[in-house]
Amino acid sequence: MGGVCSRKREQQVNEESINRGLSVRYFKSGSSKWLGSSILRAPSDIKLRNGKCPSLMELCIYNICEDMDQYKTLSMLPRDINQQIINELIRSQRLTELTLEAFRDCDLQDLDFGEYPGFGDSWMDVVASQEASLLSLDISGSDVTDSGLMNLKDCKNLQALNLNYCDQISDHGLECIRYHSNLTTLSFRRNNCFTAKGMSALSGLVNLSKLDLERCPGIHGGLVYLKGLSKLESLNINCCNCITDADMKPLAGITSLKELQISSSKVTDYGVTFLKALNKLTLLNMEGCPVTAACLESLSALTTLLYLNLSRCNLTDDGCEEFSRLQTLKVLNLGFNEISDAILVHLKGLKKLESLNLDSCRIGDEELYNLSGLQHLKCLELSDTEVGSNGLHHLSGLTNLESLNLSFTVVTDAGLKKLSGLSFLKSLNLDARQITDAGLAALTSLTGLTHLDLFCARITDSGTNYLRSFKNLRSLEVCGGGLTDAGVKNIKDLSSLTMLNLSQNHHLTDRTLELISGLTDLVSLNVSSSRITAGGLNHLKPLKNLRSLTLESCKLNASDIKKLQASDLPNLVSFRPE
Amino acid sequence: MKKEDTVKLISAEGFEFIIDKKAAMVSQTIRNMLTSPGSFSETEHGRVSFPEISTTILEKICQYFHWSLQYASGKETEFHIEPELTLELMMAANYLHT
Repeated sequence: MGGVCSRKREQQVNEESINRGLSVRYFKSGSSKWLGSSILRAPSDIKLRNGKCPSLMELCIYNICEDMDQYKTLSMLPRDINQQIINELIRSQRLTELTLEAFRDCDLQDLDFGEYPGFGDSWMDVVASQEASLLSLDISGSDVTDSGLMNLKDCKNLQALNLNYCDQISDHGLECIRYHSNLTTLSFRRNNCFTAKGMSALSGLVNLSKLDLERCPGIHGGLVYLKGLSKLESLNINCCNCITDADMKPLAGITSLKELQISSSKVTDYGVTFLKALNKLTLLNMEGCPVTAACLESLSALTTLLYLNLSRCNLTDDGCEEFSRLQTLKVLNLGFNEISDAILVHLKGLKKLESLNLDSCRIGDEELYNLSGLQHLKCLELSDTEVGSNGLHHLSGLTNLESLNLSFTVVTDAGLKKLSGLSFLKSLNLDARQITDAGLAALTSLTGLTHLDLFCARITDSGTNYLRSFKNLRSLEVCGGGLTDAGVKNIKDLSSLTMLNLSQNHHLTDRTLELISGLTDLVSLNVSSSRITAGGLNHLKPLKNLRSLTLESCKLNASDIKKLQASDLPNLVSFRPE
Repeated sequence: MKKEDTVKLISAEGFEFIIDKKAAMVSQTIRNMLTSPGSFSETEHGRVSFPEISTTILEKICQYFHWSLQYASGKETEFHIEPELTLELMMAANYLHT
């Protein structure tokens, strides 16, 4: 949000995006420990929870959390109650090393200390005292070292262990889980000390089904130890730039694999030949790998493949005819390759496709008719292509489309009426300078829209009248410079909005903040580069859900926002200027 | 209030609390006892014994039932719990699904 350019926020590798539509849960994508405390955790006041009457249990738990220092031990309470108490203490960040002591030997099953401030080796003794009861432990982002981890040697029943961003744990520390054969999920992201030698500790984890080693740059040669893990279904070694073709060879034997992520590695077409044997593979992420269309021959052996990410690879048109054999694909990402619309004819037969990404490829209008038969398409990404109004004609029959990105294309107002029948459309990106009020007028039938990006489109006050049709909008960006306070009157009743970006409309004044003060669902607001002053901030007081506020280049400074944050906006965690 | 609209809750010490049935049914456990036909003798006699809940705690629980109904009708006040009762009250709340 904000800035001159709003788009391409997720340029980095992001496996969630290729999984769109599939409810696969991954671990947290980034460490927030540096943002300070209480960023991710909700305020602790149990009574504020949306007016629902708290149960007596909740009230008691709240009470105990309040005077936790009164309790030397809670081991006389049943396990499930203690579990609820500690969950609440962690959620509200009121647990300290001292109060944790009360939970010694409480037979707790789940301990989620992910990103918990201050968590370190000295806390691990109480964690380990749960012994055989402990089933899942998350200490991601902590300062735990090898010696702290050693405490876990008696927690033999651990099923899930998250050690993401624990940069003080090395090969040596992982030795302690060598015999923890009940582990099904192990996550160990971004660790520089972990090497092939340490991977040998994983060789006996015969029940492991999910292994996440994203951003471990030293594991080259270590995948050989995974060979015997016959239940391994998901392996993430994204952004391990040490991984080469040689590392693919041992994977050929792990035929239980369903999801494999090797983005930003050094794997080439040769390495992909080893994957042919993975006959259960449904997801393959090779974003940013130096592979060409020659790898498609190997991939066509994968008859269960649903999700394929080949964005930012070395694909050219040459050899792309092999795409026609990938008949099972539902999601295909080809963005940022040197391919042209000559390949579209080879996608024509992929009738199951639900999502297609051609971002920044050389795609024009002429060959787009090849997509017109892809009736299951829900998501189509054509950003930064040469697609224009003539091409939209071929998309007008894709009536199942839910998301369409036409930012930085040459589409004009005249073409937009061809989109008016796409009644399932929820997200539309028209971030392009040549789009004006007239284009918006043609879209008022799209009443299901929840996300509309008109970032640099030239929308004026009169164009905002058309925005009134989009009552379900949750996010809106209108930053073309043409709005005044009068236009904001048409935005003030879009009560579902959670994200609103009106930056770079230089004529907006404090009156704008007054107008939108009723949009109480807003989580993120940006009105940078406007005439807003410190005096206008008072109007934001009712926006209790606001977490992000950006008012760069306005007539106010950070201390004005800080004052508002302290007095009225407890949830505000990110603001600019800061 | 008619007799069939009330229920008698009996503490470990034998102390009896007669309260509005609607209030008592804030507890999932009591609701199940009073509404599942035939399976509990409590259904017919409108009396439930709690041999493991002391009088002090049961009184507090009855207060909570009434507070909860008021809360639901829009009167959002604080419910005070004495620190020395908290642990015992929590065990009872757990049993009563309250």
